[in-house]
Amino acid sequence: MGKQSNIQKFFLTIVFIILYAPIFFLIFYSFNSNGTMSSFESFTWEHYAAVFEDTRLIMIVFNTVIVALLSALVSTAVGVLGALAIVYLKNRKLRNTLLSLNNVLIVSPDVIIGASFLILFTAVGVRLGFASVLISHIAFSIPIVVLMVLPKLLEMSDSLIDAARDLGASGRDVLTRVIIPYIKPGIFAGFFLALTYSLDDFAVTFFVTGNGFSTLSVEIYSMARAGITLTINALSGLIFIVTVGLVLVYYALNRRNRTPVTGVKK
Amino acid sequence: MKEIIRAAVAVIVVSALLLYINSQLGKTSGSTGSDTITVYNWGEYLDPELLDQFTEETGIRVVYETFDSNEAMMTKVQQGGTSYDVAMPSEYMIENMKEEDLLIPLDHSKIPNLKNIDPYFLDLPFDPDNEYSVPYFWGTVGIAFNPDLLEEDFDFTSWEDLWRPELREQIILVDSAREVMGMGLNSLGYSLNSTDESELDAASAKLDELTPNVKAIIGDEIVEMMRRNEAAIALTWSGQALDMMYINESIDFAVPEEGSNLWFDNMIIPKTAANVDGAHQFINFMLDAEVAAQNADWVGYSTPNAAGLELMDPEVTGDERFYPDEEIRERLEVYRNLGPEMTGEYNERFLRFKMGMN
Repeated sequence: MGKQSNIQKFFLTIVFIILYAPIFFLIFYSFNSNGTMSSFESFTWEHYAAVFEDTRLIMIVFNTVIVALLSALVSTAVGVLGALAIVYLKNRKLRNTLLSLNNVLIVSPDVIIGASFLILFTAVGVRLGFASVLISHIAFSIPIVVLMVLPKLLEMSDSLIDAARDLGASGRDVLTRVIIPYIKPGIFAGFFLALTYSLDDFAVTFFVTGNGFSTLSVEIYSMARAGITLTINALSGLIFIVTVGLVLVYYALNRRNRTPVTGVKK
Repeated sequence: MKEIIRAAVAVIVVSALLLYINSQLGKTSGSTGSDTITVYNWGEYLDPELLDQFTEETGIRVVYETFDSNEAMMTKVQQGGTSYDVAMPSEYMIENMKEEDLLIPLDHSKIPNLKNIDPYFLDLPFDPDNEYSVPYFWGTVGIAFNPDLLEEDFDFTSWEDLWRPELREQIILVDSAREVMGMGLNSLGYSLNSTDESELDAASAKLDELTPNVKAIIGDEIVEMMRRNEAAIALTWSGQALDMMYINESIDFAVPEEGSNLWFDNMIIPKTAANVDGAHQFINFMLDAEVAAQNADWVGYSTPNAAGLELMDPEVTGDERFYPDEEIRERLEVYRNLGPEMTGEYNERFLRFKMGMN
C-alpha cells in the first residue's frame, strides 16, 4: 500500500466516527446528573458509584465473563480437534458433508438454536442455569472455531509433516511440534472470536437462562419495561475502558516477543 | 505449543478467580443459609433493599431474576428446568396459566397480611377468591398529555376529546390491540370486554374516524417521545405515564370518565416452585404495610396495599391521577380472557385499523 490519498483518509475518518460515536455518546451521558439520555445537566460520578453498589449487577457481569472464557476455551479445544479430523479424513464425500453440516450451524438463526436447546435441556432434565448456558455457548462456538482453524490447516504444506516424519518424529511430536505451532494464529483467532460471540450472545442465552442465573445482555433486555437506567451507561463505559486496556496490553506483549510470521517454532 | 498451554492455564485461572469472587459476593449479598427462594419479576420492579431485609428477617436467601414479558415468563415456567418460587405476571396471564395448570393454590392461613389489601382489589374475575394470586401493583389506561404543546386547554376527562379536529396528527397510541380497541369501545360507552359484533363494529368505525389525529402507533418508545416533547398526547398505561412525568414535569395524565382498563401485576406461586413455604413467607412479607409502602415509593406504581398507603406521603396517595377516587374506580374494568377466537377478532380489527392509517 502506497501513500494514502486524502479521499482515503477522509473515508476512514468517517467510518471510524460512525463506528465509535454511539459508544462515546453512551459514555458521555453516563456522567449526566439529570438521569436521562435527553439533556445533559451537570457532571456526576453517581452512576458509577451505583454500578459498584449493585452486587447483583456485578455478579452478572462476572458470570458473563466466566461463561465467555470457559466456553471459548472448551470450544477451541473441541473445534481444533474437529478441524484436524475433517482435514485428515480420507473419504472426500464424508469430509464435504461434515463441512457442510458445520456451516449449517453457523448460518442457522440463533433463535432456533436457542429454542431447540431449551427443548433439549428440559427433555433431558438439565436444570437451567450456569451449566445450560455454558453448554449451549460451547456448542454454538465450536463451528466458528472450526471455520477459523480450517484455512490454516489447508494452507499447511504436507511436506512439513513428511519432513518431520523423516526426521523420526512420532505422531504425537508431529501434532504438538509441527501442526499446532503452525496453526496457532488460527487457534487464537478462533478463541477470541468464540469469546466475543459468547459475550455478545442474546438470543440463545435468553432461552437457556434460569433459576437466577443471567447474563448481561439478557439482564439489560429485561430492564426495558421500566426504562434502562444510566447505571447501564456507566457499566458500558467501564467495560469499554477495560476492553481498550486489554487490547493495549495484548499489543504490548505481542511487540515484546514478536514471533516470525511463518515457519515453525517450538 | 507451550504458549497455547500457558494461555489455556491463564484462562482457567482467571475464570476460577472470577468464580471465587462471585461466590464471595453472593455470600455478602445474602445469608449463608441454604434455604433459598427464587423470585422472578419484571426488571426494576422491586426495591433491592427489601430483598436483604427479607433475608435478615427470615434467613431465606433470595435469588432474584427478571423477565421482560409475560409470555417469556410463562414459557420459562411451562418448559420446566427452572424452579421459580414466586413470579409477578399480569392478570390476563394468570388466567392463561390457570388453564395450563401452572399455578399452586395459595394457602391463605400463611398469608395473614392479606388483610392489608384494599378489598376493592380482591376477589376479581380473573382469580375468584384470590385462590392463586395476590395483587402486587395496579394501574389504569389513560391519556398522557403535555399542555405546553397544546394550543387549547384540554383536560381529557372524556375519550371524546381525542376526536377533536384541532388535534390533527398529535396523538400517539400504544401498539396493543386490547388498549386501542378498549378505547374505541369505552368512548361509545360499551364494555372493553365486549364480544358483541355490532358493538365491535361500532368501535371499529369510531376508531377509523380517529385516524387523522393519530401521529403514530408505537411501543415502549412512547415514553422517550413524550419526554422529549416530540408528541403532545399519548394513549398509555399509568405506569408509563409516571415514567414520562418523572423526567418531563409538564406532562399530565388523565383517566377519562367513561371508563377504562384496570390492570394488575400479581404475585403467584408457579407449579415449578421448589420452596413453597418460603414463597408464602415472601408474599406475606411483601404485603406487610411498611414493606409495601417502601416498595411503592421505590417503584412509583400504585399499590393495592391499604395499610401501606396510610404510611405513604399523602401527596402521592392523594394524587387522583394514580389513585383515582371511588367514582372513577367504579367504571374501571379488568380485561377478561376472551378466548382464542375473540382475541383473534380483536387483533384482526386492530390490524385493520392500523392498515387504514396510511
